[in-house]
Amino acid sequence: MRTPIAAFIVLSGILFSIGTVGVLVRRNALLIFMSVELQLNAVNIALVAFSRMRGSLDGQVLAFFSMVVAAAEVVVGLAIIVSVYRRRQSIDVDEARSLKW
Amino acid sequence: MVAGSAFELLWLVPALPLAGALVNLFFGRRLGKAAGALASALMAASFVMSAALVVKLLAIPSEDRLVVRHLFDWIQAGSFNVGVGLRLDALSAVMILVVTGIGTLIHVYANGYMAGDPRLGRFFAYLNLFVFFMLMLVLAQDLLLLYLGWEGVGLCSYLLIGFWFDKTENANAAKKAFVTTRIGDTAMMIGIVLIVTYLGSLDFDRILINPQLTKGAATAIALLLFAGAVGKSAQVPLHVWLPDAMAGPTPVSALIHAATMVTAGVYLLVRMHVFFEISGIALTVVLAIGLITALYAATCALGQDDIKRVLAYSTVSQLGYMFVAIGLRAYAAAMFMLVAHAFYKALMFLGAGSVMHGMHEETDMKKMGGLIGRMPVTGWTFVVGALALAGIPPLAGFFAKDQILEIANSTGRNLVYFLGSLGAFLSALYMGRLVFLTFFGKPRSEEAEHAHESASMMTIPLVVLAVGSALAGWLSLSPEGRMSTLLEPVVGDVPAGAAGMAAGTLVAVAVTLSVSALLTAWVVYASGKIDWIALRVRLAPVQRMFARGWYFDDIYSALLATPGKAVAAFTAYVVDLRVIDGAVNAIGTMVQRLAGSTRRVQTGLVRSYALAFLVGAVGIFIYVGVRF
Amino acid sequence: MPLDNVVFWIFAPISVASAIAMLTRRNAVHAALFLVVNFFTVAVFFLILEAPFLFAVQIIVYAGAIMVLFLFVIMLLGVDREESLRERIIAQRPVAIGLGLAMAAEVFFAVRAGIGFARHAPEGFDAVNAGGNTQALARVLFRTYFFPFEVTSILLIIAAIATMVLASNKTRSITRAEAAEAAAAAEAGDDPMQDAR
Repeated sequence: MRTPIAAFIVLSGILFSIGTVGVLVRRNALLIFMSVELQLNAVNIALVAFSRMRGSLDGQVLAFFSMVVAAAEVVVGLAIIVSVYRRRQSIDVDEARSLKW
Repeated sequence: MVAGSAFELLWLVPALPLAGALVNLFFGRRLGKAAGALASALMAASFVMSAALVVKLLAIPSEDRLVVRHLFDWIQAGSFNVGVGLRLDALSAVMILVVTGIGTLIHVYANGYMAGDPRLGRFFAYLNLFVFFMLMLVLAQDLLLLYLGWEGVGLCSYLLIGFWFDKTENANAAKKAFVTTRIGDTAMMIGIVLIVTYLGSLDFDRILINPQLTKGAATAIALLLFAGAVGKSAQVPLHVWLPDAMAGPTPVSALIHAATMVTAGVYLLVRMHVFFEISGIALTVVLAIGLITALYAATCALGQDDIKRVLAYSTVSQLGYMFVAIGLRAYAAAMFMLVAHAFYKALMFLGAGSVMHGMHEETDMKKMGGLIGRMPVTGWTFVVGALALAGIPPLAGFFAKDQILEIANSTGRNLVYFLGSLGAFLSALYMGRLVFLTFFGKPRSEEAEHAHESASMMTIPLVVLAVGSALAGWLSLSPEGRMSTLLEPVVGDVPAGAAGMAAGTLVAVAVTLSVSALLTAWVVYASGKIDWIALRVRLAPVQRMFARGWYFDDIYSALLATPGKAVAAFTAYVVDLRVIDGAVNAIGTMVQRLAGSTRRVQTGLVRSYALAFLVGAVGIFIYVGVRF
Repeated sequence: MPLDNVVFWIFAPISVASAIAMLTRRNAVHAALFLVVNFFTVAVFFLILEAPFLFAVQIIVYAGAIMVLFLFVIMLLGVDREESLRERIIAQRPVAIGLGLAMAAEVFFAVRAGIGFARHAPEGFDAVNAGGNTQALARVLFRTYFFPFEVTSILLIIAAIATMVLASNKTRSITRAEAAEAAAAAEAGDDPMQDAR
């Protein structure tokens, strides 16, 4: 494998930043959620790249756990979005702003 | 110190009244009338106990007459230890007999006097509690324990003066008594602290035997302790509370404000006399204050119309004599006078209470007169007490006063002798005035005409006290009499002196003075030859000055109470309301305003929060990057 | 140029482009589809990094299960219509993009200062993956990480139960106070749900 590890890490950083911007600029709760998934994937790339660099499988195991947690998180998060939608007929996060003052 | 199994029961002497106080405090209402019977029975038991222990004590050779019973440790701080221990020696033996003996009689009397009061249990609880504290005071082996008793009797005095607190006047009198004595108590506490500082202990066994003190330190301690005594024993200038304390029930006046508590100051000084003797100058101060008080209060007593207030000023005056005796180093004479005074003053207070009972709570002597025929027992016992106070031999008061004057004369203090004799004359005069106005002449009001004798429960203590007043002189027929012999191990020898006149001359002078004073009183107030009311009008300025106690109250209220109230008002309405409340409110308003402006940060928009989060994350990232 | 290098430089731009495309789509379904593309490229990177097991899991779990779930919810809620991309919070978008760029730049500089761009992975990962990546991973997982692995099962059960609770259509009965409040608000012509608008 001749690709420099740094390339993966920088790619991971770029994807993570894009995910972050997505969280901040989109109002649709589902899109925000997808952006969070993108961030998780970016981190997974970094984990696996470090695993490869260190010649150990620990990073891959951690990425595996991260996927499990992401799966659980997606399930719960989507359930929350569904129930919010039932109550407010909208998944625009700017409208759910009663938690203030 | 002698170990004896009987003395193991010494703790019972104060414990019995304490038990009575606790029972009456918690179950007094349910006990009803039995409360008084219980309290009196426990007092009697305590008296019997005391008497038995004193008899046992007297069986011990005089130089070994000291029993100390350590009960438990109270305070242990490094090398400073305070234990709760009881000390029975000749001095405290005299005191416990007076306290429990007179206390028992007054308890019995109170059963009659207070009958029908709805808070009987409470009254007897306080009374028993007072006796407990008084016994702790006189039995204490330790100055701190003595101080505990000292404050305890002050508290009970406060509670009992204000027993009928629904009258503002009584509540104020109680407050006045408490605050005034507090001034002296604070000084006394400083004195106690000084003793700890200089001697490292408060145990009488350690501080009374050859205390290593400089003259200055001894003077400071002695004067501070004396200040406490001045407050408690109502000496000038802290005497103002005692006349007002007459607002309390009469048995209280008799027990606390005549026979026992007010004499605690005398006891304290006799107990601590070592410090005064080292100092020397302190004795002179005691002498001066005592003399001033004796004369001052005697003149005030002349101007009073309220029978109890006459007796109150008389008490102040008599206490002054006791301090004169202490100032002369005649401790045995002071203690003898204390005992004699306890008898005849308690007798007269109880007699006054009986008169008030018969007169429907009337205390103004102007409305009395001729009561001797209607209340013979009260009247004649009262006359015995009055003659004793006036100094007619062979009643107790004669010996007591005469000894003090004799010692003053024989040690060459002619001014003291002269002023003391003048005081004796005045005493006889006001006593004569009191007796003639109250019991002789014609009745001057409806109530006086229809007065009736009190129940036997009240008159029997009067008779017992009258016998005591008549015979107490037996205790000490001369300055070297039994009292001196008894107290010699505690207070040392009677100061001897060869100066002055012979004893016989002194007696003749004293008796002449007393009799002439009584005759004067008779001429003015009972013979009918002089219109005393007209005389009174003519001497109005003097009369008013005496009646108002030389305007001490007015001066105090002008100098202390008015500025004090102004300061209190200032702190309450300006400092507290504006400054303290203002500061608190300002902080509150500030927080409110700050919150009002910063709450806008909380938009409720989750994306704004996330952005803030990101700002922080990037910021930390930059910081870490710059650092490494 | 080695093959893995070629593959990386083909898929890296696709990955970034699909990510950007995802967050600029007005339609949620389109965005989800671009995300699937991105997940596939990530799977490819796993393959380059010699993690074939994670490659498979990535495709099955992410591109398969999770994205299907996303699409399912989009359809369920019926929000697959075009939405406005207009920003209403002042300065949100420029600051967010600026900070995103800053973060990417920080990663760039951190990598340059840290492991360096020339750093290559050591050869001989085959020794680690001896007997196959899946078997090697299983050895690590069931030996070193056995306890956390079991704990994840609890996590998944909790998530499953939570989802069922959240998704059940049972509405809470309103208290009397809330009813009165709602009535009062309705009378005042003021819908409490609308206070944000």
